Amino acid sequence: MSALVIDSLEVVFGAFRALDSLSLAVDPGEVRAVIGPNGAGKTTLLDAITGIARPRSGRILLGDGRDLTQASEAEIARAGVRRKFQKPSVFPALTVRENLGLGCGPDCPARERPVRLARALAETGLEARASVPAGALAHGEKQWLEIGMVLASEPRVLLLDEPVAGLSDDETARTAELIGALRRPDRAILVIEHDMAFVEAVADRVTVLHEGRTLFEGAMAGARADARVIDVFLGR
Amino acid sequence: MPPALAAEAALDRGALATALCGDGAAQAKAVEGVLRNSAEATSGDLAWAGTILRALLDRRLACLGESALVLDRAGAADGRDAATGTARPVTGGRSPVLGLRQRALVETASGAASLLTGADVELRRAGLAALERRIATVPEALLLRAASAETDPGLRAGLAAIAQSAALSSADPARRLAAIRAVSEAPSGAAFSRLSALKADAAYGSDPAFRSALDAALARVERAVSIGNGLAVLYNGLSFASILFMAAAGLAIIFGLMGVINLAQGEFIMIGAYATYGVQEAVRRLAPGWLDAYLLAAIPVAFLASALVGIAIEALILRHLYRRPLMSLLATWAVSLFLINGVRVAVGSQNLQFAMPPYVSGGVPLYADFVVTWNRLFAIAFAAVTLVLTLVILKRTPLGLAIRAVTQNRDMAACLGIRTRRVDRLAFGFGSGLAGLAGVALCPIYSVNPGMGANFVIDSFMVVVLGGVGTVVGTLVAALGIGGANVLIEPLYGAVAAKVIVLAGIILFLQRRPEGLFAMRRRR
Amino acid sequence: MSGALDLSPGIPAARRRGPILGGDPLLAGLVGLVLAAALGLVLLPPAPYLVNTVGQLAAFAILAVSLDLVWGYLGILSLGHGLFFAIGGYVCAMHLLAHAYAVTGTAPDLMQFMGWKSLPVYWAGLTSAPYALALALGLAAAVAFVFGLASFRSRVNGVYFSIISQALVYVAMLLMFRNDTGLGGNNGMTGFSLLFGWPMGAPGVVTGLAVATLLSLAAVLVGARALVASPLGRRMLACRDDEARLRTLGYGTTRLKLGIWCLSAAIAALAGLLYVPQVGIINPRVLSPDLSIEIAVWVAIGGMGRLGGAVIGAIAVNALKFWLSAAMPEAWPFILSGLVLVVVLGLPNGLLDLATLRLKPNWLQRAGPQP
Repeated sequence: MSALVIDSLEVVFGAFRALDSLSLAVDPGEVRAVIGPNGAGKTTLLDAITGIARPRSGRILLGDGRDLTQASEAEIARAGVRRKFQKPSVFPALTVRENLGLGCGPDCPARERPVRLARALAETGLEARASVPAGALAHGEKQWLEIGMVLASEPRVLLLDEPVAGLSDDETARTAELIGALRRPDRAILVIEHDMAFVEAVADRVTVLHEGRTLFEGAMAGARADARVIDVFLGR
Repeated sequence: MPPALAAEAALDRGALATALCGDGAAQAKAVEGVLRNSAEATSGDLAWAGTILRALLDRRLACLGESALVLDRAGAADGRDAATGTARPVTGGRSPVLGLRQRALVETASGAASLLTGADVELRRAGLAALERRIATVPEALLLRAASAETDPGLRAGLAAIAQSAALSSADPARRLAAIRAVSEAPSGAAFSRLSALKADAAYGSDPAFRSALDAALARVERAVSIGNGLAVLYNGLSFASILFMAAAGLAIIFGLMGVINLAQGEFIMIGAYATYGVQEAVRRLAPGWLDAYLLAAIPVAFLASALVGIAIEALILRHLYRRPLMSLLATWAVSLFLINGVRVAVGSQNLQFAMPPYVSGGVPLYADFVVTWNRLFAIAFAAVTLVLTLVILKRTPLGLAIRAVTQNRDMAACLGIRTRRVDRLAFGFGSGLAGLAGVALCPIYSVNPGMGANFVIDSFMVVVLGGVGTVVGTLVAALGIGGANVLIEPLYGAVAAKVIVLAGIILFLQRRPEGLFAMRRRR
Repeated sequence: MSGALDLSPGIPAARRRGPILGGDPLLAGLVGLVLAAALGLVLLPPAPYLVNTVGQLAAFAILAVSLDLVWGYLGILSLGHGLFFAIGGYVCAMHLLAHAYAVTGTAPDLMQFMGWKSLPVYWAGLTSAPYALALALGLAAAVAFVFGLASFRSRVNGVYFSIISQALVYVAMLLMFRNDTGLGGNNGMTGFSLLFGWPMGAPGVVTGLAVATLLSLAAVLVGARALVASPLGRRMLACRDDEARLRTLGYGTTRLKLGIWCLSAAIAALAGLLYVPQVGIINPRVLSPDLSIEIAVWVAIGGMGRLGGAVIGAIAVNALKFWLSAAMPEAWPFILSGLVLVVVLGLPNGLLDLATLRLKPNWLQRAGPQP
């Protein structure tokens, strides 16, 4: 039983077809990397899943059969889908702790909130900075805070959009560990990245997108060896 | 004309002079005779009759025995004999008395003479006016004769209209029907009233042919008048939309490019209008013979004036507020306040007076009551040219390309070497200049005073919001829509209701398409 | 249009949350000052016109706070708040006229102007002050609700919202200028003689009104502070800084914005309700688009997003205007525009920066996101 199913999704902007009958399925407990050249539709895919972009046709299904295709952003979020954006978008006027509190979500049970916040602070290593306004954090700390916000919500589907963009090697390694620690048996994690070493470190399987369609799906090694993938993306 | 009538028409001048010096009955009979024969009388006789009748009205007639003397002015010592022309002293003469009824007759007859023999148009027009007051007593033939001899087109039209009215009340039913048909072929609001008045006529009830002819004519005229009024409304809407377009086009470009809401846009329009006034005054002083061309000369001046003020504002103020749209908004508001009061203190709050050169005065009647007025046509033509030039500049020049590039992706354009700040400055100047052009176009139509911008600024914003940011075509369509809607609703529910409905419409429209009609899609 | 444009104001440091005003000494001081002023007016009343001026300034301060709530804390720049102010004012005027009519039996000028034999049916109940208060606040909130729902639901934000709010107040002004609305038209409504049975001009009434306004200001400040310090207030800030992000966390931002928007409208109506008896007249000029922009100017000059700034800005600008309108009336518009430009170019966070001695002129700042 898949945790997330994308079925023949089509997203169109004017005359431009961003996603062209895209299909994808992620198993629970899996970390799936989505890679591809720029303009392949990776961010659009995440937009469609979170409800920012409306698909023209096709379906998006959560593990329990919930159809998210036409749901609103807030509804999708409450169904357990969380996204970490490319640009760190924390709330600069609020403290780290308050950010994490919001990350927990509106349906966060009051009893559980302090527990989750403490856990998120610990796992992201931001305990020392808990009362600092998020606008004052360094770039890397902001990325972790975002991951922490996502953690606090205990999502069923976690979408990470270029989590290591702009990070140093050390920070990248730490992020890879963090993502590893995020695995849960009932959680599906989708990662978009360009850093191939990072992808190899975190992902179970890899989906290669090209011009809005799936080009290859399987282990990273297989992707490296695939002729089409090399032609379009990796090689030359 | 049959010779018998010609013989009858020869005026007995002596008899007329004597009669005018007689009692009221004699006066009336004589003058009525003049009027009755006026259609057939010779010009010479008519002119003479006119002179002596006018003298009578002006109290310049003196009666001496059986003859009358025409004086040069009231109370003169001597005058000329009316019949023979010889000069004679007035002594012993008396001033004839003119009763009310007789005066009316004399005025009418004098008017007839003026109409037929007056030297210039004004005299003849005055004569026609006198005749109109008592049109029932005027023989039809007189009007026909005047109409055929008349050279001035305006006066001829007036004569035709009066002849028509006379024909409508003619005794001959065939002539009436013909007259009704003639009136319906030149439809207008006035024609409609004239025909409707006939419904009260006895023949309407008694003569079925008359009734059906009249009803058909009324229906035809009514439809034509409605069409004419509809055309007028559309025309007014088009001219309003033209000005709105010019005011809003600059706003749309600036907003798309820099995200700045320019609350001073109305004041750029005002600067353009005041620059036009300045040009008018300069031309009047330096080259008064060329005064009619001041509007055309003002076009580049207004553009430059507004553009320079815009560039100054951008360079001094907005440049420091880069990426702070809120503060830019407040800053432009402060500038607007400053400009309005500055002009008020420098020039005064009164409405400016503009000369109306012939190419923006009057118009040509096109259909029914619809007149294509030149001032509005000027605005429409101006806006069309502005539209074309703006599109050419945006699509064909390097500056236009730079503007479009920076609008779509500022950072990327900067990376490609485009000097974005310079583009901002030039575009702001261009947008302001466009508003200045709107100021020129509206001088012949709307009143010009320091606070005039406020009337257009809210509507311009609505145009930008509706049309989509950064797009000239969107601005055009939205201007047509809003201008048209305003002008269409106004005669039905009033100007205020029009604004309310248009605003509600825009808000509802934004529900479906929040980015406006033609917004440029930007990838995040 | 979800703003690619960011109208959000500065990023003030997040306040420590403590007991209601504990975390904000500046605001606590301000509230104290307001209460002290109220006390002072009761114990040592100065000349009535001065008392009246203080009362009017306090009403403007309440209006400014109402705008700061939605602008400084939610990022919604409304340029039409004059509409809600006017609703409060007009309802109050109707109450005063109805009340005086019921008590003294002399018909107000309005009735003569409109040719009425008696007050129309929708005036019923306006002799009761509590009803008038409820009607003013409720009507303002209702109008705000309709307009807000239409806008927020279709994600009309940022500059578009500001422009449309200007258009809204402009159209309302045009409507009110018509003489057939039964609300005084061009001349508005004036000639208020009685307040709760007491004559309007009596010093006790003038002082009472000013004190009531000051106390309302204090209450509004305390309440607003409590609101923004609460979790709801945290969500407001989050919504201001990144509404889209907040939505992806599962929060219904439309409902949040709508609620605070209606609250703000009600507070603005309260300000109008307190203002009109003190100034003695209401007419459509209060709906002029320029006045609604001025409210934003007060908040910007004082410093937005900190409640206290709105109060300081409103009082400073209007006090200056009162003084100058008597001394040099033609100079006022120039001084105002100059003041706005100075603040905008040199004091990004308003006069409050001066108060905390944090002068950061624009040209000394590094490039970076700014209000």
